[in-house]
Amino acid sequence: MHKSRKRWAAPAAVLTAAVLALTGCGANSAPATEDGKSVVTFWQQKFEDYQQAWFKEQVEEYNASQDDVVVKLQVVPADTWDQKLKAAQAAGKQPDVRTTSYGNIKPGVANGHFAELGELMDAEAFDDIQPNVQDFVTSEGGYYAYPLLVEPSTVLFYRTDLFEAAGLDPDTPPTSWAELVEASRALTKDGVYGMNIGQVALDLAWSSWGLQYNAAGDLPIAEDWSEANATDPAYLELADFYGTLYQEKLMPQEATYPYADCSFYGEGTVAMSACGSWAIGQLSGNPDWKEVLANTAVAAFPSADGDQTTPTSTLGGWTLTVDAKSKAKEGAADFISWLVAGEPERMVDFFKASGYSKYPARISVGEALAADPEASGNPFLTVVSETILPYAKAEPAYPWDISVAFGTALEKAMKGGDAAAAFEEAQVAIDGVIEKQKLAGTNPQ
Amino acid sequence: MTSTPLFRAARLALVALIAISALLPLAWMLIAGFKGKNEVLRSPFQFFPEIWIVDNYASILQDPQFLMAMGVTFLGAVIFTVLSLTVNSFAAYAFARLDFRGKRFWWLYCITPMFIPAMAILLTSFVVVSNLGMLNTLAVLIIPGVAAAAQMFFIRQFYLNMPVAIEEAALIDGASRWKIFTTIFLPQSQGPFVVVGVASYLAYWNAYVWPILTIQDPNLFQIMQYLGNFRSDRGNEWGLLMAGSTLAALPTIALLLVFQRYIVNGVRLAGMK
Amino acid sequence: MTSLQTLRDTVVTAEASAVVNLTRRRRGSHLRDNRTAYLMLAPMVVLLAIFVFWPLVYSIYLSAFEVSFYEEPVFVGMQFYQYVLESPGFWNAIGVGLRFALIVVPLQMIFGFVIASVIKGLGRRLAGFMKTTVYVPTVVSAVIASIVFVFMYRADGGLINWLLSLVGTGPFAFISDPLLALPAIAVPAIWLVTGITALIMLAGMLDIPESYYEAAELEGARFLQKTFYITIPLMKNVLLFLLVTGFVGALQQFELPLVMTQGGPVNATMTPNLFIFNQFKDPTPYATSFSITAALLLFVVLGTISALIFRLVKSDKAIDG
Repeated sequence: MHKSRKRWAAPAAVLTAAVLALTGCGANSAPATEDGKSVVTFWQQKFEDYQQAWFKEQVEEYNASQDDVVVKLQVVPADTWDQKLKAAQAAGKQPDVRTTSYGNIKPGVANGHFAELGELMDAEAFDDIQPNVQDFVTSEGGYYAYPLLVEPSTVLFYRTDLFEAAGLDPDTPPTSWAELVEASRALTKDGVYGMNIGQVALDLAWSSWGLQYNAAGDLPIAEDWSEANATDPAYLELADFYGTLYQEKLMPQEATYPYADCSFYGEGTVAMSACGSWAIGQLSGNPDWKEVLANTAVAAFPSADGDQTTPTSTLGGWTLTVDAKSKAKEGAADFISWLVAGEPERMVDFFKASGYSKYPARISVGEALAADPEASGNPFLTVVSETILPYAKAEPAYPWDISVAFGTALEKAMKGGDAAAAFEEAQVAIDGVIEKQKLAGTNPQ
Repeated sequence: MTSTPLFRAARLALVALIAISALLPLAWMLIAGFKGKNEVLRSPFQFFPEIWIVDNYASILQDPQFLMAMGVTFLGAVIFTVLSLTVNSFAAYAFARLDFRGKRFWWLYCITPMFIPAMAILLTSFVVVSNLGMLNTLAVLIIPGVAAAAQMFFIRQFYLNMPVAIEEAALIDGASRWKIFTTIFLPQSQGPFVVVGVASYLAYWNAYVWPILTIQDPNLFQIMQYLGNFRSDRGNEWGLLMAGSTLAALPTIALLLVFQRYIVNGVRLAGMK
Repeated sequence: MTSLQTLRDTVVTAEASAVVNLTRRRRGSHLRDNRTAYLMLAPMVVLLAIFVFWPLVYSIYLSAFEVSFYEEPVFVGMQFYQYVLESPGFWNAIGVGLRFALIVVPLQMIFGFVIASVIKGLGRRLAGFMKTTVYVPTVVSAVIASIVFVFMYRADGGLINWLLSLVGTGPFAFISDPLLALPAIAVPAIWLVTGITALIMLAGMLDIPESYYEAAELEGARFLQKTFYITIPLMKNVLLFLLVTGFVGALQQFELPLVMTQGGPVNATMTPNLFIFNQFKDPTPYATSFSITAALLLFVVLGTISALIFRLVKSDKAIDG
């Protein structure tokens, strides 16, 4: 053993040196061009099928429309997006343009990921962004993303036929948590659960943001990110709301589908469901669920006290960003201008294809939709844009660990644990994140 | 073995139980491919669909991308398996039968990778293959996984079990180590090679994250990448996914049937009785 | 009994002395062995250097920084090691991983052994059929198996609860009950690996000369005695392989909980690799460095456990390299 150590010390040292030398030079490929055109790589996170189809068609049209830029579209599955993006960044192979959620813009800017779009695109394009979305895409005074769409993360879906059968009025859906629990009790029968809502920590982490705002008027962290705020007694009420639904078996007892997937509702297992607005697209896209869809109405999600002008939802959604290290920034910005900041009609087509399950973030597109008889006649569109969008809050920009800590506490309380103790734990965990990630005073405005 | 009728009956019952537990989930998958969207999720449970639907299977079989992905993945898997067997059996023989300087070090060196979690080197492996210009080629799917500690370890365990008598005789006759390996060990290796080879083949066939990281070209898409299309956060195409998975498993099952008689049988060493 | 022990001792001694003889003979031919050995090792050594050790060393190097791929990384020394070791989530995950392995590995070994013993006693045709049958689950990827089992577990409309209802119990929400969830995801894990485990064991069993059993039978040995005095000792190499790879595989499992439970309920199925996988989610340098460091520490845990198994199972140093 001792004798041999000396022998392998030499090869090991050589190997280490070689590795360090080789990894030191992260050989970046030159700006990609072929027959004079500038190549722009574009990663689109995979969503509903119609989105992939729309992007593919648009990219082809753009490539045919001019001679300077070729966009190469790559659809990336959501479950491996983060890994793929990080690996690509590590190797300098990240795409020039990518889909970025609102929540990732500010942390991304803080870490230097994005090119400032304000310098690359026309100023008018940014004036067209809805006032409440303006703040989502700006950081440190500059524009770093161009919005594609907004979608509220929490909408109440309910079955009008089952409401009638249970003696409830389908025209007056529940407006407070207490009413929702009451309705769930009335609707839970004949093998159908009254309600469905997130129940696993990782789902609760984000799907309850809106309700966290609603319960406590804020998220479980101080405004300047200097300390945790998870022990606010208001959260006990929130935990009680989730816990009642779960423990009284008013909702499915297992998370067969993640929160974002509204299949429990579609397949008729539940009479009401919390889900993102995108579920409208999922429901209308499934021919087997026609009957359910025909008896579906949507409403703003109930609030703690019945006041429907308080937020119950965050406004999620997607934007396009240009990478800070992109070698084809001009071409990338040109593509974004053409696709999402250009003619309103192009985006109107997108929202039509979505079955009005997503909503424009541009004033001109909103107006064009309002002028379109098919769109303005859509009942879902009206409810969402009038009763939900105006009150929805932005997604938090703090690290995901904080959301997970709160989601874990909520799940513990929901499944019968001691709620106060669970939130104490979350408090400690969040304070730990603040300290280790040096968050105090860094909330990007 | 003594075989009373009772013993034989009990054994048959056990055999049936084993076969059913192995096959039931697969049968479920196969049948689910024939169900419409609603029926997959039907409650109360029903094993067979009310209406048999062939659309799922038909639409996948008609998709040229599916056939392409099957072909490319099969090709990659075969090359991968052959290379893997070669490289790992060489090393296995050296560790099982040869005495050489630094053996302990090299043994640790070769066995350590078995304990390295893929997550620990996911990013940095990507940087390496990217710097080597391997992205978007079949090579990036094949080469990095060829040297596999577990496979080498497995073959070595078998070589350790080989009787030394034959080898001694050959050495006395003046045969070289290389000759002993190729003329005595390799021909005896059918059994372990089939077991390890199928495992390598399946590891390649079922890989999901690595192909997604490294392959952009749709012509090189791997089968699990293709099946991934039916999954999403926002609703899955259950029927298509189950039909696709069933179809993707068929070539491998066919391969198993072909190699069935080599599975395990060949391990038995000649001249040992 | 005693004669059986003698028989086993004879077997082991015979093999050992053969190895000793061979080793002694080899002393004279050191040079030739060296060259052949290095040539045969070269492909593996080179490939591992490029595709495993180079990335590994690079990861260790990165773990000393807050890694940003956009701005200058900040050197932080061992800070992230401290953060990971202080993280309750990491230790919870290691605990979950160990519990999971302690469910999966013993059952996998026992089922594998029973199945192998059964197949060994079957006629040629039936044995052939069974060998293929038990192997078939292996062809399904873990992701697909997870989906199939999620459906089979459904409290409402699932195959398993339907079967249980026939005998008058249930329904159980298997994957949502904090107590049942880990055993519930262990079932597909066992289902996926038992076939190949059984076949490898069968291969090991067939390696044992029939004459040993015949001798034992003359001594009046029964099935269990033959198993404990002949089969298991002579399968030591195979069992060691299965134990080590089984533990490593089980501790590294992450696709099953990822698809089936997302690590829930309340982190009851948050295996180490899933925990690390989730740390990737943030775009911050902190998240990148934390996940790399946690994975490196998991490597230390895996290595330690495996070394312990090696030490426990392996007594015969003559064979070890």
